[in-house]
Amino acid sequence: MPYLVFALRDLLAKKGRTIGLAAAVAFAVMTVVTLAVTSSGLEQSAAAVISVGKADFTVAQKNAADLLSSTIDRGEQARVAQVPGVASTVGVLLEIQQVNADNPAFVEIGIAPQDLSRFGVTVLAGHAYSPTARSECMLGWRAASNLGLHVGSQFKANGTINTVTGIYSTGNSFGDAAAMFPLPAVQGYNRVPGIASLVFVKVDHGANIASVERTITYRLPELTTIRTAAQFGRADRNLIYLKAAVTGSTILAVLIGAIIVGNTMLLSVFERTRELGLLRAIGWSRRRIVGLIMTEGFAVAFAGTAVGVGLSFLVSSALERVPALVGILHTNFTPGAFWRALLTALAMSLIGGLYPAVRAAFLAPLKALSYE
Amino acid sequence: MSEDPTRPEAPEGAPPAIELCGVAKRYSGGVSALHEVNLVVGSGEFVALSGPSGCGKSTLLHLVAALDRPSEGVVKVNGRDLAHIHDLSRFRRLEVGLVFQLHNLLPRISVVANVEIAMYGTHRNGAARRARARELLDEVDLAGQAERLPTQLSGGERQRVAIARSLANDPSVLLADEPTGNLDAEAARRMMALFGRLRDRGMTVLLVTHDLGLAAMADRLERIEAGRIVTAGRPERPDEAGAARRALARDSAP
Ligand SMILES: Nc1ncnc2c1ncn2[C@@H]1O[C@H](COP(=O)(O)OP(=O)(O)OP(=O)(O)O)[C@@H](O)[C@H]1O
Ligand SMILES: [Mg+2]
Repeated sequence: MPYLVFALRDLLAKKGRTIGLAAAVAFAVMTVVTLAVTSSGLEQSAAAVISVGKADFTVAQKNAADLLSSTIDRGEQARVAQVPGVASTVGVLLEIQQVNADNPAFVEIGIAPQDLSRFGVTVLAGHAYSPTARSECMLGWRAASNLGLHVGSQFKANGTINTVTGIYSTGNSFGDAAAMFPLPAVQGYNRVPGIASLVFVKVDHGANIASVERTITYRLPELTTIRTAAQFGRADRNLIYLKAAVTGSTILAVLIGAIIVGNTMLLSVFERTRELGLLRAIGWSRRRIVGLIMTEGFAVAFAGTAVGVGLSFLVSSALERVPALVGILHTNFTPGAFWRALLTALAMSLIGGLYPAVRAAFLAPLKALSYE
Repeated sequence: MSEDPTRPEAPEGAPPAIELCGVAKRYSGGVSALHEVNLVVGSGEFVALSGPSGCGKSTLLHLVAALDRPSEGVVKVNGRDLAHIHDLSRFRRLEVGLVFQLHNLLPRISVVANVEIAMYGTHRNGAARRARARELLDEVDLAGQAERLPTQLSGGERQRVAIARSLANDPSVLLADEPTGNLDAEAARRMMALFGRLRDRGMTVLLVTHDLGLAAMADRLERIEAGRIVTAGRPERPDEAGAARRALARDSAP
């Protein structure tokens, strides 16, 4: 009998219990993975905004609750532009509006038409709006196709009916699902004259990006610079809190899973006291007994992982379709999510299985053999 | 039998296979199972141990198998004091084979798998384990029952499976606790012959039996009474042998 068949035969013999145990693991894995992929989706879509601008880096207000509440006033924008090594800056105001029931979190980008090309925007059809127009806009091509609008259509936003003057592309799905307005129109409607959410910075050719960033944060300590998605938390406290909450829930899910695994395996060790005593008596080492019990635990954990990842896929794609979350929640199934699932299962079976395994290993063989 | 010239002789000066010196065993409940036991079993000897129920035979075997520690005294196997062996699992796995008084087979795996479980973690791979298990089952005349479950075997057949398992890793010492307990006379004699053959191959056999007729098939008989060895069958000490023979006669009486 191959060792693995021997080691796993009890799991096969007690199918109901094995399935229950795998289900508990699967549930914990599902929770952990769903939290991970949705929070990483949130981070990704929030971070996508900084890659719209095709800039060397982005300047935002330090420790803003989230990117949309970051404010940089006109004076600060000017001082950023004066920092040596800064070639050009583009100030952009981001706002979120409910356009209709299907688009509860539609992104509006206020940007001056002369900045569009530097911002990496390509006009695909029609033309850009005029700098001070109050009822003109451009739609990203994804937004246009979602809303069924085209050049010349009327688009209701900012309290007015806007004429769509053009359709643009940024090459970035976040930007392409948004709309662009003249900067003063968005500032005026939201009563934040002169304010930008973010300033996109391009440095002089050959300038050291990091040192330009340092100069900016030195001169304007209330601002921060962001170059990668990982630095995003600097300007988005909410994301930091979200990540902390996800970490906390993950630990909790792993602990609950581990307790269930431990409980069930302890019961199975007690039931097999005589058998374990016999194995010890005929010369199985303690380590081998630990291995036997842990093998069972790992097998269940991996079965649970497979099911849990599948469930998480279903649950998160269902969550994406909940009306209140459409456009806000994006899942992001990365290889990291699968590693996290495996790690979760591994942690659960290790933490949960260790005590039963050690109990089994330290049974006194003779006593165990006469156990009823 | 002891004069059989083909039997491998223990090398000159080799330590005895089993040596108990001043051994006492008290269980935690206050039961004193063995007192001042001195016993030497030479390498390649086939010794039968007998005595009334509860006199401490199983206790003695468990001490030699390193399943329990003596309260006093020294137990040596092949010259090594068991109290000083660090890896007792390895000792139990490779140096002694133990056949328990109760069968102690795993009920839900096949007979051949029951023999194989003694070989996990040894140098043998899956195929070699299986081959060895079948060879051992053949040796105890159970080749045909290899794929059955232990519950489908008779008591004597189960004992033979346990013997096959105890031999899996070629131990130098075989300890068998009443393996003939529920066998008819003919089956018991065949089993004793099997132990005789093992002894002929150089194995040391210490066997517990109530049946003095069977015990006579061993090279030597040791008798325990109330936790003490009452020496029997030692030709070099005729006075004691006589006393023991009288005791044997008492036991054998209906
Ligand atoms: N684990 C234990 N705890 C307490 N007392 C025990 C234990 N095991 C055995 N005893 C006692 O020790 C004594 C010797 O027991 P042992 O099992 O060695 O006898 P035995 O000679 O093998 O008997 P039998 O022929 O009936 O198998 C008995 O009085 C028994 O009750
Ligand atoms: Mg006994």
